[in-house]
Amino acid sequence: MSGPVDAGSVVCVIGAGSSGLAAVKNLREHGFAVECFEREDDVGGNWNFGATNSRVYASTHTISSKPFTQYPDFPMPDDYPDYPHHSQLFAYFRRYADHFGLRRHIRFATIVERVEPAQGGVWDVTVRSRDGAARTRRYGAVVVANGHNWYPKMPHYPGLDAFTGEILHSAQYKGPEVLRNRTVLIVGAGNTGCDLAVEAANNADQVWHSTRRGYWYAPKYVLGRPSDQVADFWLGVRAPLKLRQWLFKAALRATVGDLTRYGLPRPDHEPFETHPIVNSQLVYHVGHGDITPKPDVAAFDGAEVRFVDGTAARPDVVLLATGYLPKFGFVDPDHLNWTDGRPWLYQHIFTPKHESLFVAGLIQPDSGQFTLAHWQTVAIAAYLRARREAPRRAHDFRGRVRSESGQSYTGGASYADSTRHQFEVAHQEYLRGLERTINGLSGARSPLARRVNGSRR
Amino acid sequence: MLPEVDTGKPPLLFVHGLAHGAWCFAEHWLPAAAEHGFPAYAVSVRGHGASSGSERLRRDRLRDYVHDVVQAAVSLPSQPVLIGHSLGALVVSRVIARYPARAVVLTAPVPPTQGVGLAAHLARTEPATAARIIAGRTVRLRADQLFAAGVAEEHVDRLGAASPLVQYQAAFHRRPDPPLGDPPVLVVGAGADRLIPARLVARTARFYRTEPVVVPGVGHDLMLDAGWDRALKTILNWVDALEERP
Repeated sequence: MSGPVDAGSVVCVIGAGSSGLAAVKNLREHGFAVECFEREDDVGGNWNFGATNSRVYASTHTISSKPFTQYPDFPMPDDYPDYPHHSQLFAYFRRYADHFGLRRHIRFATIVERVEPAQGGVWDVTVRSRDGAARTRRYGAVVVANGHNWYPKMPHYPGLDAFTGEILHSAQYKGPEVLRNRTVLIVGAGNTGCDLAVEAANNADQVWHSTRRGYWYAPKYVLGRPSDQVADFWLGVRAPLKLRQWLFKAALRATVGDLTRYGLPRPDHEPFETHPIVNSQLVYHVGHGDITPKPDVAAFDGAEVRFVDGTAARPDVVLLATGYLPKFGFVDPDHLNWTDGRPWLYQHIFTPKHESLFVAGLIQPDSGQFTLAHWQTVAIAAYLRARREAPRRAHDFRGRVRSESGQSYTGGASYADSTRHQFEVAHQEYLRGLERTINGLSGARSPLARRVNGSRR
Repeated sequence: MLPEVDTGKPPLLFVHGLAHGAWCFAEHWLPAAAEHGFPAYAVSVRGHGASSGSERLRRDRLRDYVHDVVQAAVSLPSQPVLIGHSLGALVVSRVIARYPARAVVLTAPVPPTQGVGLAAHLARTEPATAARIIAGRTVRLRADQLFAAGVAEEHVDRLGAASPLVQYQAAFHRRPDPPLGDPPVLVVGAGADRLIPARLVARTARFYRTEPVVVPGVGHDLMLDAGWDRALKTILNWVDALEERP
């Protein structure tokens, strides 16, 4: 292929991780030619364990159960467990790519350097393959699916740079070897922070776990089922938020009980007001004395770490599980309607600034990611098709994009620490929004719920 | 069954009907399709054929069979052409609403639109069978119901149990949602079918906005009856003529 591509006929997808793959597959299914660029040598993005930007570690499993994690039209095999291991997810993405014939549309070992708008609403995309020169091609549309869980967010603490012990961001953590025979401080209470605290409890000599506030740690199983399936039942019958919060607390009361009895801080918010933290083992290890809870770090001082309650610790290793930030180095943030430090999009997908630039996967759902990425990319494909075949509908939709960008899908909760929850979505409310978009653009009326394959066996 | 040489043709996944199993396709259609260069597969839904789950059969419903067929479809190396026979066609009509098949063939299909027409037909022409369904007992299909010629009668002994719930659902079921990915659809009727008359085959074809193709002189089980080769040829020629996916 050489020379400029016919504008409007080929869609460029950036990234072949969980969102990019869904984009390639769904765009093709809707009749579009697609070219995808992936920096690594294989599909799977973060789930390609060992790849440069992959952040999963040896023991990573999903925290959402199978039916809510999988692509709805490509269920995981029945013999996969409720919460699959990262290697099973990697195999799953590879099978998805093979099954739908996606590989011949993906250029591996290729980095996207620049995405620039060109005359007529099209895009010039400059790529560089690992061993080659840069090339620029013109595409009719661009889907940004480069992931948002790979670029480390480093915290700022006084004295951090002069700390004499070892400091790692969780991005560098691949397995428990680095914890053995050492004393460890884990900073951060997201899902990674809690996973790592539990890993450390099983491997290190001593573990401190520093969290800025108290959190509601959801168990992975309740009433004999994966807890997200039980939660979804209550969402499905439209139980009010307050009832769901009460039920959540009742389930915790019946098992681990009052968190403060373990020395954990009392949460300063209600359940569902922060990104869910799903971990059955954290409180267990605290109760066994294997993890010492600590409040926020105040400062680092030589070999010592001081906490805001005045206590201190001298860990050999500090693991900063302080999260990740989205990074779009290849495109001017203004094209994504960058406002207040983040893209300001409609349904986290559509930018009011352009009709042919989209983002897929830039969400932090309270449920599994790939299911939502699938429907996001179906919405993108439905919009592009409407632009070609039903311009009136596409035009009306653009009006909504311009007027409703930035609307959030919180399921009624108000999130604590709003900057951390910029991309947070309550999945059922978000799915209903996507359903309206998809049905509105395609003129269909099928509810997404019936199209979701629930392998609840 | 796989062809000796990889021809690049899409895989075929056959789905059986009530009380049948993958065995009904293994007899003739699978090897013949493989000889024509098609990787050919057949699935036995739970509790049927050699699949496990027969102890739970009475509690199984259509959605369980849909689940099983989707599992089979996604396990194949590429998107298959789904071929559903009789009740298997009803199952396939629901499968394609949640999984994008390469193409769809419905043979002697239980109409996906509504089953009341079929129920009325059976009540009139096969009252004993209808009575068993109403009573919640497995139908006992007879050779004369399944075959036009006398040639394939030994297969009746291989029929198994059917789920009474699914039998009810054959008569009373929801309209399926539209297929994902807009696959091409072929509806094939058996010319000498006592169970699914021509007008019901036409109804299915209308639902999928196509014209039915009738294979003359074959009974309901057109994969086993004399004339099975003509029926299969109709299907394979149609698949061969499908446009290449870009």
